[in-house]
Amino acid sequence: MLLLELFWSFVKIGFTSFGGLSMIPLISGEMISHGWMTASEVSDIVAIAEMTPGPLGLNCATFAGMRAAGVVGAFVANLGALAPTLTLCVAAAMFFEHFKNNKRLVQIMTGVRPACVGLVAGVIIDLALVNYSDAASRVHVPSLILGLLDLVLLLKFRVSIPKVLLFSAAAGIILFGVLGV
Amino acid sequence: MLEKLRSCLRLYYQFLKFGSFTFGGGWSIVAQMKELYVEREKSLTNEELLDLTSIGRSLPGTMIGNIAMFYGHRVAGFWGGCACVFGMISVPMLVLMAITTFYTAFQNNLWVASAMRGVRTAVVPVIVSALTGMIKSAFKIPPCYVVAAAMFALYFFGRVSCVWLVIIGAVLGLVMCEYYERVKNFDVAA
Repeated sequence: MLLLELFWSFVKIGFTSFGGLSMIPLISGEMISHGWMTASEVSDIVAIAEMTPGPLGLNCATFAGMRAAGVVGAFVANLGALAPTLTLCVAAAMFFEHFKNNKRLVQIMTGVRPACVGLVAGVIIDLALVNYSDAASRVHVPSLILGLLDLVLLLKFRVSIPKVLLFSAAAGIILFGVLGV
Repeated sequence: MLEKLRSCLRLYYQFLKFGSFTFGGGWSIVAQMKELYVEREKSLTNEELLDLTSIGRSLPGTMIGNIAMFYGHRVAGFWGGCACVFGMISVPMLVLMAITTFYTAFQNNLWVASAMRGVRTAVVPVIVSALTGMIKSAFKIPPCYVVAAAMFALYFFGRVSCVWLVIIGAVLGLVMCEYYERVKNFDVAA
């Protein structure tokens, strides 16, 4: 019944996510509560999904599905994540003119967008607590400094996300692999 | 019948190409659709693409999956939509399956683990930079700030499931907008 659970998890994620990284809190919650992933692995999928082609949410579905139940799991998770596209969106396509400038849709999004901001802020803290601490859950200063450097590269110098991730991977190999900090 | 099959195959192939060249988010697919359909084929106007995009964004699920479904449905009905959606995800799915296999096998290798530890330090900054983009369009009316703060508290301190919080957000959106329209005579949707 693992496949059914996986499918249902991604159906829930699909129907309550609205584009891009707003999916992360939902994926993190479902994956960790089912024990399919640890918080570090959630960070890893975000990074991997950002570095490979394709939409983030579906890349997460492939990764999580594969980890939980192999290739079949990946297909099932993708179908789950695509459930709103294959149902709701088809209905909207049939009555497209009606959906265009739909007032209720605008009203719903007026509440959903700030809610997503709140959730993403929460998941940022969750992930930061894991990614910048050592095995004894104390602050790990080299990781924190590297993170701040990444933030400056992204926000101040507008370096693209894949480049920042590659830079961090190289820095990780040097810092943690060669120097062993 | 044959005509329809041919147009589905054509859509599948076009979206297979779109899907292979997207890094970080679906906007690059919208840009590629614009280049092919609006500028080269002239089978779609800029306004129509904008309509597809804005509705695709406000329906749940992957934005670009929704846009692909809309476009395919427009050209060749339901199966056309499916051709676009599955064309778009084919290559990314294969790439990611290979990477996941590699990741699972080498997760504990010193060099891979060090690289991943480095990458993890960049994940929070990446999400922060995405959040700064989301903030621009998130606060249409002042009560939206309260919604964001309340949902943050319920998620972080209350550990309420995100699924419920998004649903609560949707309901609050309806309530806030109706209130603004009836009491303050301010149409948020306009």
